[in-house]
Amino acid sequence: MSALPLVRALRRPESAAAFSPEQWNVLIAMARAERLIGTLALRIGDGAVPGGVRAVLADARLDAEREARQALWEADRAAAALAPLGLRVVLLKGTAYAAAGLKAGAGRFIGDLDILVPRDSMDAVEKHLIAAGWEWVKSDPYDDAYYRQWMHELPPLIHRDRDRMIDVHHTVLPLTARQTPDAEALIADAVPVSDGLYILSSEDRVCHAVAHMLADGDLAGGLRNLWDIYCLLGEADPAALETRAERHGLLPHVRQARRLADALYGEGRTRLTLWDRIVIARLLARDGWGRETRKGLRFAFYLRSHWLRMPPLMLARHLLTKWRKGYRPA
Amino acid sequence: MKHRVTLRIGPATFRIGSAWSGPIGELRRLYADYPAPSDGSADFTVRLEPAGLLRRWLRPSIFITGDHGLADAAPMSLAHSLLAAEMGMNLQMALGWRRHLLLHASSVEKDGRVLLMSGESGSGKSTLAAQLGERGWRLMGDEFALIDLAAGAVLPFPRLVSLKNRAIDVIAADVPAARMGPLLEGTAKGDIRHMRPRADAVARMDEGAPPALLLFPRFGHASAIRPMGQGETFMRLTQASTNYVALGEAAFAALGRFVDEVPAMAMDFPSGDEAIAMVERLWEERA
Amino acid sequence: MRYGGAAIIGGRAVTVDQRYCREREGNILFRTLGDIGLLYHRPSGQTHIVISPVPEILEAMEDDSPVSVGDLLQRLSRRFDLGPQETALPKIAAHLADMAALGLIRAVA
Repeated sequence: MSALPLVRALRRPESAAAFSPEQWNVLIAMARAERLIGTLALRIGDGAVPGGVRAVLADARLDAEREARQALWEADRAAAALAPLGLRVVLLKGTAYAAAGLKAGAGRFIGDLDILVPRDSMDAVEKHLIAAGWEWVKSDPYDDAYYRQWMHELPPLIHRDRDRMIDVHHTVLPLTARQTPDAEALIADAVPVSDGLYILSSEDRVCHAVAHMLADGDLAGGLRNLWDIYCLLGEADPAALETRAERHGLLPHVRQARRLADALYGEGRTRLTLWDRIVIARLLARDGWGRETRKGLRFAFYLRSHWLRMPPLMLARHLLTKWRKGYRPA
Repeated sequence: MKHRVTLRIGPATFRIGSAWSGPIGELRRLYADYPAPSDGSADFTVRLEPAGLLRRWLRPSIFITGDHGLADAAPMSLAHSLLAAEMGMNLQMALGWRRHLLLHASSVEKDGRVLLMSGESGSGKSTLAAQLGERGWRLMGDEFALIDLAAGAVLPFPRLVSLKNRAIDVIAADVPAARMGPLLEGTAKGDIRHMRPRADAVARMDEGAPPALLLFPRFGHASAIRPMGQGETFMRLTQASTNYVALGEAAFAALGRFVDEVPAMAMDFPSGDEAIAMVERLWEERA
Repeated sequence: MRYGGAAIIGGRAVTVDQRYCREREGNILFRTLGDIGLLYHRPSGQTHIVISPVPEILEAMEDDSPVSVGDLLQRLSRRFDLGPQETALPKIAAHLADMAALGLIRAVA
């Protein structure tokens, strides 16, 4: 059993109309595990569903609305804290989609607040956020040094009263990754969305989502990331996107993302490479009880994600340090 | 998953999967007379999984998870699997229920009105509710009280009552063995035994009623009753609710109305019998 | 601590000219329960338990246009006895700063 029923239901919500109760149980468990239940609920909308299912989907819509409200409030508070600096604070990911009312934001569960600021402003940003009530989360000096030196963000901050995290980025991929997106261009071409807040341009939004999914991570939450990309592709100019992707060194990744999005959520007419198929297998590794399947494949991607983030010698040293500290991958 | 059962309790339906047959068998036995779920579709999935690669067979250890889970949850031994299943259901409700305001409280009904007792583990709320349930009151629930967001009624959620340590013998004396679960020794909270509510409490699990009195019981002190101010009550109830924040404005309105309309008291008591007497007196005074 | 026409609160100077305005209509729900006030702030989803003078301050800002700390003090003094200006001003300024930090009102440039 793979997550295909979930993918099909998102692509064509009517396909679930004739589902048995147990098929609904499977669909709901998968959607919850992939954090796509809000999206699914909105896709199904007012379509005919059994009574029990209607209640579950209504709850999911409620949760997604609340998450969006809270995420936008966090953005509002961050903007208020950083206003004196007069910089462009660029919202990323889910919060950006919600702030701009994009299709990618509809029904989406949003996690932490992610913002992008100019690299040379990081110190000032850090100071202002701390003055406004945010505190450090990680206190391990190794992780702290690693974050500052090599990652593309400050170590995570959490607000002491609201208990919500903020991730401050100065570029969208680690400095050690093989691609180096043009961070200054990302900020320069950002579009305003409300007081002091910006989001990336349509093409840059796709590039960022693709970088996040394919060039940085181990594909956990991949079906949701790919749905974001699928929605964002609908709002980006294809030619402009190719040019932009090239500039950020992400052209092969954007092309792959386009193929994957089409294969799973679109018409399904694109020819897939062998590597595409392996990635799809990893994305679909979820069963009808919501469990992750295909442990071997997932572990391989976990290793790969570290490989992508770091030069090989650094990787060996990093993994050894983590191992010595007792960290074990899930 | 190899073994499974679907249970409906009050307005919530749970699909429970397990790597072992034991807990499923226990659940089937104790929930045997509960009404069947209407169509088999569930509100939540609970999973009892092996806590590690070999943990299905070697010193079996259960990791409780499901739609909602806590990554750092401590695994439990197979001997406590019924407790694990009950905790799994609690976890889904606490983290995922949105259709009513949830309060950590037991509830019992008499003459069409509901007494709620709110408190943490050890306060006596579960034991008292079980005892009242054997003395002419209808047991509605021992862990979660469900408050209707629009009209304020309390709805039943009559799961197995979780009795701890000394309370086990007290209740087991009143209740036939067929309604009692296995003795689970050495859990994190000591000895635990589960009790199924009486047949009529189960049969009437869709009947709500308006709340009339809220008590904050405290076992093991000299008898005392003190009315609790509305401000303090509101604050304590927000802490006793797992979904107040998630429900937002609707919870603000519902909890405000609840505190406005339902008198609240702190009740200290030295023994179960004394508590029952105090409760009956308070109830009479409000008739 | 006084410094000219300002007060130092939380390490920042807050002048009598600092202006604040209320949240948009309908963003705050208010009810009393016994002797406390309860405030639900819709944009943040947070519930606040408030006592005087927060409800009075909000009410005095009723008309939604920005008001300075000094003017607000005048408005409140007309209805309540706040004691001498030197002690009342920093207190009101501190309350306003806290309320702005929570997002219940906004500081206006």
